[in-house]
Amino acid sequence: MIEIKDIAKTYRKNGGREVKVLQGVSLKIEKGEYVAIMAPSGMGKSTLMNVIGCLDRPTTGEYRLDGVEVEKMDDDSLSEVRNKKIGFVFQSFHLLPRTTALENVQLPLIYSFAERDMAALATAALEEVGLGDRMNHLSSELSGGQQQRVAIARALVNDPSILLADEPTGNLDTAASAEVMEIFNKLHKAGRTIIMVTHSEEIAQQAGRIVRMRDGKIVSDERRAQ
Amino acid sequence: MKPAKTIKLALRAMGMNKMRTFLMMLGIIIGITTLTVIVSVGKGASAKVMKTVKNFGTNSVMVFAGGGKVLGPPDEKTNTLTLEDAQAIMQEVHGIRSMDTALLRLGRTVKYEDNNTNTVIYGGTTNYGDAWEWSTESGDYFTEEDMAGMARVAVVGKTVVSELYGNTDPIGTNIKIENVNFRVVGVLAPRGTSPMGMDMDSRIVIPYTTASHRVFNTTYISLIRMAAADPNQVERIEREVATVLRERHHIQSGFPDDFRVRGASSVSKMAKGMAGTLNLFLGLVSLISLVVGGIVVMNIMLISVGERVKEIGLRRAVGAKKTDVRNQFLIESSLITVIGGLIGVLTGIDLAVLLPILSNGKMAAIPSWEPFVLGFVFSALVGVIAGLHPAKKAAELDPVDALKG
Repeated sequence: MIEIKDIAKTYRKNGGREVKVLQGVSLKIEKGEYVAIMAPSGMGKSTLMNVIGCLDRPTTGEYRLDGVEVEKMDDDSLSEVRNKKIGFVFQSFHLLPRTTALENVQLPLIYSFAERDMAALATAALEEVGLGDRMNHLSSELSGGQQQRVAIARALVNDPSILLADEPTGNLDTAASAEVMEIFNKLHKAGRTIIMVTHSEEIAQQAGRIVRMRDGKIVSDERRAQ
Repeated sequence: MKPAKTIKLALRAMGMNKMRTFLMMLGIIIGITTLTVIVSVGKGASAKVMKTVKNFGTNSVMVFAGGGKVLGPPDEKTNTLTLEDAQAIMQEVHGIRSMDTALLRLGRTVKYEDNNTNTVIYGGTTNYGDAWEWSTESGDYFTEEDMAGMARVAVVGKTVVSELYGNTDPIGTNIKIENVNFRVVGVLAPRGTSPMGMDMDSRIVIPYTTASHRVFNTTYISLIRMAAADPNQVERIEREVATVLRERHHIQSGFPDDFRVRGASSVSKMAKGMAGTLNLFLGLVSLISLVVGGIVVMNIMLISVGERVKEIGLRRAVGAKKTDVRNQFLIESSLITVIGGLIGVLTGIDLAVLLPILSNGKMAAIPSWEPFVLGFVFSALVGVIAGLHPAKKAAELDPVDALKG
């Protein structure tokens, strides 16, 4: 479902120096896979993540998502793809302040035009991450682990094809990390496609496939028997 | 995103920072309040002008003896206007339906029994009622015989009646004007205030011949009052009357008139002039407030966009299009200014109601629906213009950079 062919991404830094963040990355990810992308900081894993998530465009190369050539899409179509097919989970949660868990989870729904019961969908998503009893709490009233679970519910609420998680446990203590990883495992078992960027070996080991990157290139791609 | 959702979102953002929202509204509130006051005062003033002109007579032209820019009737030393002037006007200027010539004296003592008061003595002709379009409330005007016989008969105004008689019927009583006895034959219908601000009901009308020979001993006249057959001809008559008089008085071109011609149009011009100055000042205040208010809205919106970069990044990540983000900020800024505008209109209407009371009726203001439309249009316009730049800036943020903050 994800087909990346020879993707390169070049940034021009202040002063005109070009930085090649991705240098010819090719990657195929099938539906239902649980992939961890590992790399030391600044080695292009976040950029790859943003390209897969249609937040960023590659400088060169091809990207097909569900058979559609994403690199040719305009900005509005990319927004629509993000809305319908991608669910983001960020290291720093990115919840709206002074807003309840329920409203945070509804956020993607207000940008899709379909007539649906937003509250019911958001409630179901929150129940899926075990926060059915915290729906009307403000984000500031929740613990870090709970906030990240709200963020996961938000990523799930529009029933996307792919969950993209960027260091989802980076800001969490061990217990909360375990909780969050438990949810990802559960979602994987339920058939979700999950792509997770991490630099923690321990976290990566829970995925079925580990892609290692260095200097903007893939250096290894191993599948583990589960 | 649906408009209703966007408005809800904007209301929420406004509620989160109430002080800031209020500051953004302040300039708009002041601007729209003054705008509302301008419209109301303007309406009040034009109603007042209309009333003044109507009171003066929409088809009336008056000539006063003496030049200059003085308002109202001349003093008694001004001897520039004669009955012959009036006759010449009547012969040479067409379209005059009726003419009254008068000898006028201000502030004369009149007595009835033990009461006395000061009033205007108007020595006019039997054309008085027609030329002034002024009827008697009771009794009648004097007759041609009274004129011919220099009869000592008087028609009194309502103010004179109330000051001298109280509730007594004045008809048939004797009244002393400058120590000459007059018999009251009629009471004038009430007329109100003249365009020059004089109480028109404070006057006594007596035959010109009597005034000229028995009371004031002069043959000069103070004013000519004309009624045009057609109100549209008033301006032409004003011009032609001036030409006739300049010719008769041998006034060389470049020298000022020794008379003043006043028609309905010059009266309305005069009345409008007074209201115009105030409106110009208030208009400037309104304009400046709206511009300053708009700049404040724009700056605070820019700050707000800066503070909400992460939120914008997140919204873009979950599927908001550029237009969604742009609309969110545009609607937020317009909603703030429109609500500010509504507060402004309501404040302005309150002021419009209070103004005549506070100024003891000197200032007229009429509340109306127009400020609501104007206020809405102007405040929405300011909101959209002020929000355009911040909204565009928010929409053009790169989602990846925005997420990083």
